[in-house]
Amino acid sequence: MIYLIVKNFFRSKAHGIGLVLLLIAGLISLEIGSRFLKKTEQVSVKTAQYQQESILRNVSYFDKEMGTLMYYLKFGLENKVPNLAALSIGQRDIFPTVQSVTVRNLEEQRFSTDLTNPLYQLLGNMDFSFVLIYFFPLVIISFGFNLISEEKEGGTWSLVRSQAGSPMSFLRYKMGIRVISVLAVLLVLLLVAKFYLNIPMNQHFLAFILVSVCYVLFWFALTWLVVSFQKNSSTNAQTLLICWVFLNLILPAGINVFQRWLFPIPEAMTTVIQNREGYHAQWDKPKEPTLEKFYARYPQYASFVHPKELDFSWLWYFAMQQLGDEEAASEVTELKSKLRQRLDLSKKVSWLIPTVHTQLTLNSVGLSDQGNYLNYLTALEEFHEELKHYFFPKIFQDSPVREEEWSKFTLRVFQDEYAVSWLKTLAPFVIFMLAFLLWATTNFKTARLN
Amino acid sequence: MNRLKKINLLAKQAWVNTIHRRGTKGLILLVNLLLFFSLTVGYLNLSQHQNLVHGFGGEVRDKWENSPDKHPHRMAHYGYLVFREKFPLAFFDFGMDSYLGNVIFLEAHKQNTVNFSEANLSNGLLRFGEISAGMILQVLIPLLVFFWGFDLISRDREQGTLKILFAQGVQGPELIWGRALGLYLLNLSTVVLPFILGFILLFLHGEQDLLGQSVAHYLIMVLGYLVYFLVLCLVAVWVSGVSKSSKAALTTLIGCWLLFTLLIPKVSQVIGQTWYPTPSKIEFDSSVEQELILHGDSHNPNDPHYAALKDSLLRVHGVDSVQQLPFNYSGFVMREGERLSTETYLSHQRALVELFKQQQKIIRNAAWIDPFLAIKNLSMGMSGTDYDMYLHFQDQAEAYRYLLAQTMNELQIDLIGNRIKNSSDPSAQLSKEYWEKFPDFHQAFLPTAAVIKNQFYSILILALWLTLFSCLVWAFSNRIKAF
Repeated sequence: MIYLIVKNFFRSKAHGIGLVLLLIAGLISLEIGSRFLKKTEQVSVKTAQYQQESILRNVSYFDKEMGTLMYYLKFGLENKVPNLAALSIGQRDIFPTVQSVTVRNLEEQRFSTDLTNPLYQLLGNMDFSFVLIYFFPLVIISFGFNLISEEKEGGTWSLVRSQAGSPMSFLRYKMGIRVISVLAVLLVLLLVAKFYLNIPMNQHFLAFILVSVCYVLFWFALTWLVVSFQKNSSTNAQTLLICWVFLNLILPAGINVFQRWLFPIPEAMTTVIQNREGYHAQWDKPKEPTLEKFYARYPQYASFVHPKELDFSWLWYFAMQQLGDEEAASEVTELKSKLRQRLDLSKKVSWLIPTVHTQLTLNSVGLSDQGNYLNYLTALEEFHEELKHYFFPKIFQDSPVREEEWSKFTLRVFQDEYAVSWLKTLAPFVIFMLAFLLWATTNFKTARLN
Repeated sequence: MNRLKKINLLAKQAWVNTIHRRGTKGLILLVNLLLFFSLTVGYLNLSQHQNLVHGFGGEVRDKWENSPDKHPHRMAHYGYLVFREKFPLAFFDFGMDSYLGNVIFLEAHKQNTVNFSEANLSNGLLRFGEISAGMILQVLIPLLVFFWGFDLISRDREQGTLKILFAQGVQGPELIWGRALGLYLLNLSTVVLPFILGFILLFLHGEQDLLGQSVAHYLIMVLGYLVYFLVLCLVAVWVSGVSKSSKAALTTLIGCWLLFTLLIPKVSQVIGQTWYPTPSKIEFDSSVEQELILHGDSHNPNDPHYAALKDSLLRVHGVDSVQQLPFNYSGFVMREGERLSTETYLSHQRALVELFKQQQKIIRNAAWIDPFLAIKNLSMGMSGTDYDMYLHFQDQAEAYRYLLAQTMNELQIDLIGNRIKNSSDPSAQLSKEYWEKFPDFHQAFLPTAAVIKNQFYSILILALWLTLFSCLVWAFSNRIKAF
């Protein structure tokens, strides 16, 4: 019987077309991912090259004074893109991959954006996660919505009941071949991705695979549940499509607007205001308080003093710059905590909405989510501190520019870490699937297959 | 029975049959509620944004005016913060608003990016899109119309009533128009009240100076939507008429919907990125920097590139050192430097914008085969949430930055002596009256004529789709098979 069910499945042209379409869409998405990787790779290589060029050029122009030179010199920190991100580009096309900073105040620099076409950001990338989240369910729905009803409407249901050992196991096999064929396409795509995009086999990729599989199974479970009510084909199709529209369009988009309204972030703007006041206002103030605050923050530089008779010194200048950051510090903390709140809210909500959960998890393991960006922001702060500590003494004592070995300032790379929490990752799927299957079983039991 | 009467009757029949089907009223109510919800939330978001922006704008102005006496070049570096305002219709269709920066720091010598877009502050959820009235009308309503319309003719055929209709003298075009209008009526029941709410919200908006313009935009936009919906209804009924079965019609229509709302937009995006790759920020900055270096450093009065300028100035004024010039020399040099660096930057910026426009042109051209893209562009354009409106803001911000830098340079040239040591010298400080005299930044929006000009294509495309399907109905509807 199994052989006949398999044969029957593949004889339908629609099934073949569905699987092939998934395969093609998936392959296109892999190509898009590969281009994305190439582009980021290029940015990283070019940045490294420009940084060297720019440093050497500036060194040749401003070789008299360390302070002047350090006003201009920029050092980049790259937010390393793992190859897995190609499958789930997430926020990576919104946040720049490399941020270059001078030793001046950080706040004025770190939020500067990349050059992007907003219309393209709006339309979004067709990455693998998009194909998985939007297209797979549609094919699954079209494979399964008439699992029973096509037999009933085609008049073959009585044959099934009289000939198959048990109609229930007939349905299970019928569903089984659909599950296996879709999963096969998914795994083939992931296998191709592994080699084409050169994705290392680690816990992130494993989580990616498991989440993808669970997501596909979730939609099969939902289809199974809807089928178990034994309504006619068009009711089933409409119910499932409504589920799709709600899970993929209305709910996530609604939550998105809602959370923005719930957690407005005026801090994004006040940070800028505070920072500007903090720094620029110092020009017209007495120098001592500015320097006092600088010494309080960095006692190690207390030995450097601003010569009273001078109207300007680099020590005073960078002390002013430092105050810009400090004035904005509380706003920045608030900004970051608001961002965390938004992230937490959406993670909580995602327990209830598997599509959102899938997207967020795939972004997390691909290091292309907001969590990664927040970690990068912190890393950038540390990088900036490190630069300051390296160069401040040299600026303040005006070390000769030519004595510094400038070639060692290559592009720095930040490698983010993400530990997969397996329970949190898989539990929502398992809960949903169990609930659907139990419900479907009781439906089949109470309604009897008639 | 004349033709109109028959159409009327058929429309009524489609309306009555569908409205009495289980769930239809619920769906109509649901869509109305969704639209009311998104209009309200959109409106609250807009008001919140405008209040914030006005508050911050006022704060920035106060601080500017109350800056102490100082050297004008310090003022040029103190600079200005400009916050992007939204057009009063932005609540209707968010368009690309969430991907556009909201605040820009304007200072001498340097063009900063517009930062803190909503997307910068969002997580992966944004990728699912945002629910706004525009999104519901463009994406969800078509799906609903297709659901209601897929069997409007095919069911008659399947039940055998189509034969009866034809036997009674109903002609193909009448059938399609009648059913399409019935469907249109259903469609309107989901949107008319929300359209009225949107109209009322325009009048509640705090800033009434743009009321006339926003009402005009609103009416054009609503008209665009009404055309779009009519096209959808015709498509649905026509497909229902020419398909073999209801099931086939539904499959075709859902396929169209996927093609129009997801596939064509995404694929044209991919094509655009491949055909017109854009430089990264670092490449852009580096090429600007390389060109700027050729112009020399205007901060450095001894820069060799400015030596020629200096010599000619000295000759003209018959003096032998810059200290003897009747105006402030370093101000003069900086004015020249600002002019050169701005020219350089703008030429690169224009090339970049041109590239973005080329990319967007691909989307615009894709709209010829995808009415969804046409209405999306029109709706964004009219709501003031499209790229053109944003560019207009960016241009104004840059013009204001240039004005600020050059005004401060002029003040320095005219009022600061040549013999001062540096900018801390008390004799080199100007009174704050000068700051007050410098005008505040006032963001203007593109006038209606310009918006219509930008959206001319979208309007034309929608009109063409309507004409095309009207023709199709006349030309092909006699081929509808009765069984």
